[in-house]
Amino acid sequence: MMTRRFIVEPRGLASPRLKLAVPIASVIAALVVGGVFLFITGENPFAVYAKMLDAAFGTGRGFSETLVSATPLILTGVAAAIAFKMLVWNIGGEGQLLMGAVAAAGTAIWLGDGAPAVLLLPAVILAGGIGGAIWAAASAIPRVYLGTNEIITTLMLNFIALNFVNFLIFGSHSPWRDPVVATFPSGRPIAPTARLPEFFNRLDAGIFIAIVIAVAAWYLLEKTRWGFAVRIVGDSSDTARYVGISVPKKILGVFLLSGAAAGFAGGLLVSGPVGALDPRSLDLGIGFTGIIVAALARLNLVAVIPVAILIGALSNAGPSLQAIGVPAATVTMLQGAILIFAVAGEFFVRNRLRRPDRVSEPILEAGEPA
Amino acid sequence: MERINMAFTRWRVFATLLVAFALVAAACGGDDDADTAGPAQPAEVLKVAFVHVGPVADKGWSWAHDQGVQYLKAQLGDAVEITTLETISEGADSQRVFEDLAAAGNKLIFGTSFGYMDPMLAAAENFPDTVFMHATGYKTSEGMGNYFGAAEEGRYLSGMAAGAATETNLIGYVAAFPIPEVLRGINAFTLGAQEVNPDVQVQVVWTSTWFDPPKEKTAAESLLDAGADVIAMHQDSAAPGQAAEAAGAKWVGYNTDMTEFAPTAWLTAAIWNWGPIYLATAEQVIAGTWKSEAFYGNMAGGMVALAPFGDSVEQATRDLILEREAQIKDGSFSVFPDPIINQDGESQPLGDIFGMDFFVEGVIGSSSG
Repeated sequence: MMTRRFIVEPRGLASPRLKLAVPIASVIAALVVGGVFLFITGENPFAVYAKMLDAAFGTGRGFSETLVSATPLILTGVAAAIAFKMLVWNIGGEGQLLMGAVAAAGTAIWLGDGAPAVLLLPAVILAGGIGGAIWAAASAIPRVYLGTNEIITTLMLNFIALNFVNFLIFGSHSPWRDPVVATFPSGRPIAPTARLPEFFNRLDAGIFIAIVIAVAAWYLLEKTRWGFAVRIVGDSSDTARYVGISVPKKILGVFLLSGAAAGFAGGLLVSGPVGALDPRSLDLGIGFTGIIVAALARLNLVAVIPVAILIGALSNAGPSLQAIGVPAATVTMLQGAILIFAVAGEFFVRNRLRRPDRVSEPILEAGEPA
Repeated sequence: MERINMAFTRWRVFATLLVAFALVAAACGGDDDADTAGPAQPAEVLKVAFVHVGPVADKGWSWAHDQGVQYLKAQLGDAVEITTLETISEGADSQRVFEDLAAAGNKLIFGTSFGYMDPMLAAAENFPDTVFMHATGYKTSEGMGNYFGAAEEGRYLSGMAAGAATETNLIGYVAAFPIPEVLRGINAFTLGAQEVNPDVQVQVVWTSTWFDPPKEKTAAESLLDAGADVIAMHQDSAAPGQAAEAAGAKWVGYNTDMTEFAPTAWLTAAIWNWGPIYLATAEQVIAGTWKSEAFYGNMAGGMVALAPFGDSVEQATRDLILEREAQIKDGSFSVFPDPIINQDGESQPLGDIFGMDFFVEGVIGSSSG
């Protein structure tokens, strides 16, 4: 009884104020610890943070680049959040993004210059979503009907997707490979009519499409009958079965939607800033980062949007910090520290630390006759 | 709606906090600027930036470029202000990095990896007042020149050392990407090895990496397991050499003198000297005489050289190699014959070496990766 150690206990429902305070406190803690680290390594923390903010939000070009980076992250964040919410552990966003890109670039090349832009562009982006969904189906169907572990299958399919993309560009003369410069393996540029026009530097309408998809996914899940049924499955599959909901179908649907969201990220990259099936521009871990985005957004499909923008800003700040003399390794450590603190803060939303002796009173009250 | 409102409220508070922090930070940063503005700077300082794909400490490709940067700094001193960015991924997003550098006032920007080519071309179009220089590519524009050198000359000579050293007559080659630059290197190396040892074969393994030491080491080990007793490589790390050293095999490096990583295995290497081109380009930009061109350096001009020999290279082999080196420099010997015998044993025209897409006779492996 006299121990002064803290115990960890679930908090139950956290108040809205707490849900706000914890992430802010974690970011401040991350900045303070990062600042101490920067100070020890001989940097001026204020100058470094000012540079980070300036690079990401300070100029029109900087902010537009932040949004360019955020666009695929919103979608891979939605992919992870929508699946995790239903306890579907799809960590294959990376592979689904790549296969979405394969489908999008393939559609653009197949339909070619002939098709009018009004048809071609939507077809290319849609193909991205379909490609992602098909790749997700390769894990979803065995999960639903055979009970295989989707963590393993989605993870492994990431590597297969990446090697498939490398094969299309480096290992074969596929239609995806640029035939004009046959000896330099690179993706075949898609027709300009299949590209989203840039309206501010490299920023295109992809950011709005991503936001619309995120909000639509939120609406589907929170406001429709289908979404309601899916949420019951996520809370308790036994309850769902009891009230007559087809659990396998719901899980399959969520899995495919998740894959489609990641596939849209690939489609928007191909029809947007990349413009080809280019492994070097696509193999950046955007699918994995989406899992971090979803975790920080607490699986809220709308909160994914600002979180993706912040993560995009954080990752873009790296080269700018190197330009003011902060070593590359220090930048990576700082970025990692900020992420770890932000994720760790989530723990305190769900749990709290308490001294055991303070807890004891109500328990005694309940247990002993008065 | 409640959830969406909550998310936005949360975001708004977050954003407000960030802005407040920015103002504080900017205020502090401002003081800092005032302090450094004190000492008088030379009137005309050329801001020069370098972007590398790997860490400059790789002791390979990026390090060799950074040695050139140090040379430029030593020669021009305060007349240049240099920014170096390392481990910048290739691909579409690198355009942002190049444009940020141009927007920050850099008037001369070098990108030292193949995959920066199209992003730099796009950046050059958006920043016409900035000179862009791309290494190893094949595209130029009004604002972007490119530069590279005939590594194949050094490769041929290092192949001679390898051909003399092998006892199994099988040399393993850890190759990067199936692009002409790499294929030229493999072919020149093989021809050099065959000159001193007609029975030699060169087995190629692709890693699809420029700098990934564990992967490159594994590739070297697979070649050693297959019976190779000399390892050559293209990537920026010394990992294949360390694998060779551990297996008691020999090693031909690349980029820089890497003797220290595998002193027993080391034979020699084709190495780079980038300093002169960096100095010449900076001087042209300062003088306003720079014009976009495709520059291809060679051994005679000093951009490519041969690293010091390892102890195990016999004197007779050294003499032979140095004799060839002299002939390459005076132009009396060229590395690639025309016509040339390809992998299938057929004679074919040499064609444009900048678009080389085939292997010569004696190479085992696929030239398409």
